[in-house]
Amino acid sequence: MEIFQHPFLYPILLPLASGLLCLLLPKILSRVSGWIAVIISAFTVYLVWPLFMSEPQTLDLIANFSFKVDKLSGFILLATTIFGFLISLYSLGFMKKKIYQNKYFAYLLWTIAAACGALLANELIILLSFWGFLGFTLYLMIALGGAQASSAAKKTFIIIGATDSLLILGIGLVWIITGSTRMDGLAIPLNHPHTYIAFLTFAIAAFAKAGAMPFHTWVPDCGEKAPTPVTAFLPASLDKLLGIYLLARTANDLFVMNWAMNTLLMVVGATTVLLAVMMALVQHDLKRLLSYHAVSQVGYMVLGIGTGIPIGIAGGLFHMLNHAVYKSCLFLCTGAVETKTKTTDMDKLGGLAKVMPITFICCLIASLSIAGIPPFNGFASKWMVYQGIIDAGKSSGGLWIIWLAVAMLGSALTLASFVKVLHATFLRKPSAEVKQNTIREVGLSMTIPMIILAVTCVLFGVLAYRLPLNHIILPAVKDTVAFTGIWWAGPATFLLLVGIIVGFVLYFLGNKGKVRMVSTYIGGESLPADEEVTGIDFYKTIQDINPLNALYKMAEKNFFDIYDVGTKFIFLFVEGLRHVHTGRLPWYLSWVVGGLLILLIFLRS
Amino acid sequence: MIYSLCLILIGIGLYGILTKRNIVKIIIGFVIMEAGVHLLLILIGYRMQGEAPILQPGMKLSEFITRAVDPLPQALTLTSIVIGLGVLALMIAIAIRLYERYKTFDITEMRRLKG
Amino acid sequence: MNHLIPLFIAVPLGAAFFIPLVSRHVKWVPDVFGNLTMFSLAAMSFYTIGQSEVYHLGAWQTPIGIDLRLDGLSSLLLIAINVIGLAATLYSVAYMRIFTSKLRYYSLFLIMVTGMNGVVLTADLFNLYIFMEMAAIASYALVGFGCEHEELEASFKYLVLGSLATLFVLIGVALLYGMTGSLNMAQVATSMQSAAQAAQGTMAKPYIFALGLFICGFALKSALVPFHAWLPDAYQSAPAPISAMLSGVLTKTIGVYVLARLLFNVFGISQQLLLILQILGALSMVVGVLLAIGQWDMKRLFAYHSISQIGYVVLALGLGTPLGIIGGLYHLVNHSVFKSLLFLNAGAVEYSTGTRDLKRLGGLNQALPITGKTSLVASMSIAGIPPFNGFWSKLIIIIACVQAGYYWLAAWAVFVSLVTLASFLKVQKYAFLDAAKMALAKIQHTPFFMGLSMVVLAILCVVTSLAVLSGFDAPVLIAPAADVLIKGLITL
Repeated sequence: MEIFQHPFLYPILLPLASGLLCLLLPKILSRVSGWIAVIISAFTVYLVWPLFMSEPQTLDLIANFSFKVDKLSGFILLATTIFGFLISLYSLGFMKKKIYQNKYFAYLLWTIAAACGALLANELIILLSFWGFLGFTLYLMIALGGAQASSAAKKTFIIIGATDSLLILGIGLVWIITGSTRMDGLAIPLNHPHTYIAFLTFAIAAFAKAGAMPFHTWVPDCGEKAPTPVTAFLPASLDKLLGIYLLARTANDLFVMNWAMNTLLMVVGATTVLLAVMMALVQHDLKRLLSYHAVSQVGYMVLGIGTGIPIGIAGGLFHMLNHAVYKSCLFLCTGAVETKTKTTDMDKLGGLAKVMPITFICCLIASLSIAGIPPFNGFASKWMVYQGIIDAGKSSGGLWIIWLAVAMLGSALTLASFVKVLHATFLRKPSAEVKQNTIREVGLSMTIPMIILAVTCVLFGVLAYRLPLNHIILPAVKDTVAFTGIWWAGPATFLLLVGIIVGFVLYFLGNKGKVRMVSTYIGGESLPADEEVTGIDFYKTIQDINPLNALYKMAEKNFFDIYDVGTKFIFLFVEGLRHVHTGRLPWYLSWVVGGLLILLIFLRS
Repeated sequence: MIYSLCLILIGIGLYGILTKRNIVKIIIGFVIMEAGVHLLLILIGYRMQGEAPILQPGMKLSEFITRAVDPLPQALTLTSIVIGLGVLALMIAIAIRLYERYKTFDITEMRRLKG
Repeated sequence: MNHLIPLFIAVPLGAAFFIPLVSRHVKWVPDVFGNLTMFSLAAMSFYTIGQSEVYHLGAWQTPIGIDLRLDGLSSLLLIAINVIGLAATLYSVAYMRIFTSKLRYYSLFLIMVTGMNGVVLTADLFNLYIFMEMAAIASYALVGFGCEHEELEASFKYLVLGSLATLFVLIGVALLYGMTGSLNMAQVATSMQSAAQAAQGTMAKPYIFALGLFICGFALKSALVPFHAWLPDAYQSAPAPISAMLSGVLTKTIGVYVLARLLFNVFGISQQLLLILQILGALSMVVGVLLAIGQWDMKRLFAYHSISQIGYVVLALGLGTPLGIIGGLYHLVNHSVFKSLLFLNAGAVEYSTGTRDLKRLGGLNQALPITGKTSLVASMSIAGIPPFNGFWSKLIIIIACVQAGYYWLAAWAVFVSLVTLASFLKVQKYAFLDAAKMALAKIQHTPFFMGLSMVVLAILCVVTSLAVLSGFDAPVLIAPAADVLIKGLITL
């Protein structure tokens, strides 16, 4: 069987098989499954490395069974497997005492395998099957969260599964239009209603996976209820990588975009950026807040790809990679906090910076990255997206100014909300609920992934052009990327560092030893002992501003949740139909006779 | 026509099944309808002034074939009557049990399964 | 001459009468004999793959004697019937202990199997009717096997509606015989074709009347909307293995199979008939699934899904294209596997907890691990999630709809599959994932045989999905079956 000697198949088959092994291990050996996952996922990284480095190549096993790797899928493949490895390393610590370890690591390995399969597929049907399987593993992994996660798991899978089914329709249409489902030969011009429908089904599948509006509602639920490494791996990094991969594939390769569809993407992107960050501002739960940011950041990626300009697309892809890095870092930090304090409610946290310094620093770096502060990576990619928007504006219409304004506002609000996170979790006075003296920094297997990710945040920001862009992102974009604005990351970082050092020097020279400590006060009155200033309600007033308060109230009632609205709509019919089935036999008999009569009349004609 | 008689019989049976609430009447409706169907089957094979399809000694085969009625529908009818009897027995058995449980023969009272 | 063919009818019929004779005093006999019979039938059914021939019973030639006919389609159905039947009997060993009379149960069960095998094998319209009645009467009795309020009520309603359908079918048979003078399907088809040619393609009125009666009768047996009313009641009340048999194979054999046979092979398919199938299928799909998602009784929920899934099959057959027919038949096989598994799961839940009400269940993933896992597999199969079998057939059906140019039907199928997924996730959530609402200690363990048959079916869910990997160019089972429908009977 020489087909099994091909490097394309190992990253799929190996994790799949070892996942099955993990599942079959007896409970006593549950620690072993963790190590299997770590080793296999590391080995998968090793396996996909040559694929990443190689020139685009195709493998046709038999007819309709074709795989392909190119620069785009290559780098996402590498990123996926690396995240898989980091997460399994982290989970080794996080899952230590959980009873579902075997299952968890099995599903983790399956997810890696299916992601590799979906990325390597050169045949839409193969892509679809792996894509669907990913939805299934996502469901299984969320369901590991136990009874409290059951609703979130159900909702997630319904949204993902529905869009997967739509994808079947799209693939069918593509097949009818072009007579082929091979991805590398496709470039469908959008000129017929069927092509539009096909494009939209692909886009919707990508949106649902990545979590763009209006298919985002599963992300916050899942983020809040699922085990933290699951959230860090799936909604925060892997699903973004895959969703944006599909979107980029669809928009760049499979279809030839036109103005209308690009604008549609940009509308979706801009709405997602703004609305999700508004929701994030008012959250109390750390994981839920981060999840809303995971939604909001997708907006930037969609915006970038929607520009249709090489720099914008490159920016979107780069942002996807960066987002995966800093968002999983943030979730891992949250997981570390959760392991030690047993809660993620920001009302109950506080003052953890002293006891968990590594977590704090990683979280700080990642927060600054997500907020788009130079010189971290978030800024580099957002900057490219902005350039793409401006460039796109040159050629078409005056709408670009809106997208740009929204994107920048979103960035500002992101910063605002992370100020709240950092303050509430790490900086403010220790809260009463969390016993400070018992908390220590988390173990090595958990800190290493966080540190790696935080360092990556810095590296990808400072050396943005030299390291990731040059080697990873730019080859993945078809056309040459022209930078309109220039950002010298190196000198700027240098200047920033100098500024910070000068600040420190001034601080130490001028104020050393002269710090005045007073008790907290509000409006001149000192605070009673049982009250404290929390960061939680920093932005509560937003909810009371006039047009917004109505919107927030509707959002609280799930008025904008496509899942809830759909459910209510369907149940209208359900109740009607149930009402008709009365249990009266003559009534049922009359259906039969009526049906017979209609049949006969129809047949006569 | 004579066929319409069968159809009337079938119609009466159907009417009984459709409109009657009493289980026993529904069953009777069935019996009537079944009888109609059986008659129809027999009529299909019937031939005016035909003979019974039994070959007796001294008959010419060619003449017999032209005059005898088609035997196959009669065989079918017999089989079908047997099957009908089986269904009827089952119906009555269930009807008796239903009366034991629900203390009524009214089918519209039996509505535990609905929706 | 292949003497295997009549054995499919003789063996279960013989066993059905043999069991009550022998086992009056020995308790283990029904179990052992029932399972042995089904096992041998299942093993035999695999020998029919790839064979096709007409068997003349008692060596009487075609117009005089009774023919049995084996071809690709019958072989497919035979395998489905007997394998699912074996799973059901295995399950019954443990499950039927809660009822009183095992010997009567196995007897009726085997008569039902006889009827189904006969329907699939017969080449004769009247024998079709007889075998159909045989299977149907046994199933009426089995639905009411518990003899409680609900069982009797369901059984009676099923009996009335079902008998009405068989009377319609009998009238249809009589009319066809009157018009063509033959009962052999191939001969009826030939003479109908020549009659149609003589009349320049228009059908005589008795044919149309017979056709209407047949469609109505068999649509009722296969529970297509609006002829579906008996189905949820019957499936809900029947013992679990019987629900599995009814849903898994009975509606398909005496409903969909016969309908396809008659429309495609005897009457000859036309655009009008295809349209009827499409309408019936599309209507069943959506009505079934919408009713299903509102249910809280596990078995009733599954029952409504049967309507919806049969709708898929009929819709795919109604496309009339080779791809559609392949998709439909593949879905038929897949559905018989995963739906019977789902009913067995529901039975296991009821056996262990004493209830099927989703509102009162919960936490069963811990308490009943085998049931939990197998039901997950079955749910994912029916919802069409890869890598399970339902995904592939759903994929083929949707693509076939698009290929045939029925875009709205494709979108319809997508919508139905979404609601299907939602309702099965509801079952998973309330029964298996949520916190337990009753004391877990009260929950009994699943007996070995029930677990065994569920695991076998769950493995089949994955195995049948591998059929797609072999490609549809050179498969063993489905393409020959589809060929029969496309090319017709006459060729044999």
